[in-house]
Amino acid sequence: MNLFGFGKKRRAPDEAPASPRGRGVLAFAHTAEVIRAEAALKAAGFSVRVMGPPPDMRTGCDMVVEFDLLREVAVRRVLAEAGLDPLAAAPVRAGMLAPVSLFSTTDFGDWLMVRAANMKITIARADLRIVNISGGGCPDVPALAELLVGRSLADAPAPLSRGQTLCAYSLELAFQEARRLLKVSA
Amino acid sequence: MADLKIVDARGLSCPQPVLEASDLMDSLGSGRIEVLTDCGASPENVGRAAKAKGWRLVSSAEESGAVRLVLEKP
Repeated sequence: MNLFGFGKKRRAPDEAPASPRGRGVLAFAHTAEVIRAEAALKAAGFSVRVMGPPPDMRTGCDMVVEFDLLREVAVRRVLAEAGLDPLAAAPVRAGMLAPVSLFSTTDFGDWLMVRAANMKITIARADLRIVNISGGGCPDVPALAELLVGRSLADAPAPLSRGQTLCAYSLELAFQEARRLLKVSA
Repeated sequence: MADLKIVDARGLSCPQPVLEASDLMDSLGSGRIEVLTDCGASPENVGRAAKAKGWRLVSSAEESGAVRLVLEKP
């Protein structure tokens, strides 16, 4: 029997809880601000994730930053120092639809496709080569595709190291998720 | 002359035309194939995948709402 929580395993101070309880989401006006917020908060040591917004929190931007609600004051301070002002911050409550993953995967048998927001990357399972990049509509997508298609997921350059646009950012997320799913390290 | 192999990927959405074409290129190793697709970005993507495999885009022509690509590897 466990009275008053004695004997419970303690959580590390910055470890993200497994359940959405204690997590909040920050909404911004533009996706570019989401990207800047994620970078600033990660650089400051916060555990944050970029997610799709809950359906009842759509702001026009299709991404939100999920964070540890207990650290909201510190999070807001870091954002203010970076010149970022979120449109809204809300707890992920029980009963509220949770933020949705930006990722979706499609299994084509010999190939795996990972989609993040508007970008898709398809990998051959046999040799982990990138066989297709699609989506977007940003000017750097053709150059990124030319650079990445045919290369191994293990040694291909990270898309965000070569691209500048939101498509490059989405592709970076898909690229890293594909590496995670296929257990590929750089 | 060997039969010309054709991938009819009309009606398939991206990336399936690329995957169908890749499958055929891998199984043949070399030769000449045609790919038919009516998916917007697929002609460019098929051409790119072919180039990565050492195949050459010989021609690309629109016909009846689709694009016919001819790919070759000696």
